[in-house]
Amino acid sequence: MLDTISAGAAQGAAQLGWTGVVRFLHLTPRAFLPMRAAETITLVAGKGIEGDRYMIGREEGFYSHKPEEGRQVTLFELETLVALKRDAGIELGPEEHRRNVTVEGVPLNHLVGRRFWLGETLLEATRLSVPCRHIEEITGKAIFDPLINRSGLNCKILQGGIVRVGDTVRNAA
Amino acid sequence: MSARPITTVKTVVAGIEEAGAGIKLFTLADPDRWELPPFKPGAHIDLHLPNALVRTYSLCNDPADNTRYVIAVKREADGRGGSRALHDEIGIGDVIGVSLPRGGLEPQARIARYVFLAGGIGVTPFLSMVRHLERTRQADFTLHLIVREEVPLATHLGSLVEEGRIIVHRTSRSGRPDLAALVGEGGSETMVACCGPESMTDDFERVTAAWPAASVHIERFIAPPPVIDPDAKPFTLSLARSGAEIEVRAGQTMLAALQEGGIDIATSCCGGICGACKVGWIEGKPVHRDRILSPYERERYLMVCVAGSDAERLVLDL
Repeated sequence: MLDTISAGAAQGAAQLGWTGVVRFLHLTPRAFLPMRAAETITLVAGKGIEGDRYMIGREEGFYSHKPEEGRQVTLFELETLVALKRDAGIELGPEEHRRNVTVEGVPLNHLVGRRFWLGETLLEATRLSVPCRHIEEITGKAIFDPLINRSGLNCKILQGGIVRVGDTVRNAA
Repeated sequence: MSARPITTVKTVVAGIEEAGAGIKLFTLADPDRWELPPFKPGAHIDLHLPNALVRTYSLCNDPADNTRYVIAVKREADGRGGSRALHDEIGIGDVIGVSLPRGGLEPQARIARYVFLAGGIGVTPFLSMVRHLERTRQADFTLHLIVREEVPLATHLGSLVEEGRIIVHRTSRSGRPDLAALVGEGGSETMVACCGPESMTDDFERVTAAWPAASVHIERFIAPPPVIDPDAKPFTLSLARSGAEIEVRAGQTMLAALQEGGIDIATSCCGGICGACKVGWIEGKPVHRDRILSPYERERYLMVCVAGSDAERLVLDL
């Protein structure tokens, strides 16, 4: 019974009700380099983010030797950064978690297998991101354990376009 | 797709400057001049050179200068080959993979005064510290530079020598200075640090033996000889990911046993001070003999170049 999620109110399942917002955008051209903040990023359907290390064809990321379409764009919850400080006393900036898009008000863990709009772009979530020791090595912060089960979402890009800070994030019915 | 994982920061040689006394300054930068991973004052990086040489050098520029890594390399004709490779084979535009920066001193608000003792080219770890302190003015500092005659990087240090912030001691003229007199009385607001030949760092250790550990820092550019316990027993390394079992002979290092077993491990100093060969451990009773891991890190990591085992079996995350 837990293999699929029932499709909607007709079957008595709860509908996710949320609308979120893009708070920060970050990218970097190569593994290990600091993420740089951007006001806009350009998503290319089926490929990735222009200028980012995981753009298909660029292959300069730490995990590029393990190609995966869900690495085209990655998201992270601003609420997790707040929780890290509140619960673990760790200050982690949005430039440090190494995902591309920091969103607020978006229940990322509920979106695996679903489609949603990120500004004018349409994404499909493929899997939850998992924390990695690599990020501890880069940040020097013991964040592996506190990020288990809340280290973001991997997505493929179905419809490309420009994403801006402040854009709305919403479910694609 | 890349055939192999990317394990180093990709840099290009953006500048090479002859700095006298057999020293060259190499400036490394990202190919697109993107910001490089940050570093603390006094930090060092490994350079992955052609011919599989991995060598560690201190970063000499101000940590706020975040798009360059500058290293000073003295050509050692009888060295292990790293400085010769850099001096003789590396040119502008060459690509060099480097590690993330490691080590260095975390600037502390309680410290009002730093006293640095450097022997010859051992001045390099203090250059980034001095530049950081000059810029931030968060603490006073004096750098005692002990040389036989010639001052390394003289043109870069000249103004600080004139200002009296670097004091040069020429052993050819006045003999070796009394380190105890140079470090002074100390106190909770003073931190002393030393980098130089082993005889100098040994003297420094003796002179500061009674000081609080948090006020003393030693930077070694020659790894001390590995400590081999005469009572050491053989043990078995069990590699959790590959399933391999590797026997470590009594007195043999874990690193040597892993390499004999065909396991590729990044190494540099092989003496437990540089951090290149850090490996996760899962089960067993490791004996840590490194000088860099914190107690927290030791709960999960060990340095295979110096660590041993207090149990017959040690499981590594390899």
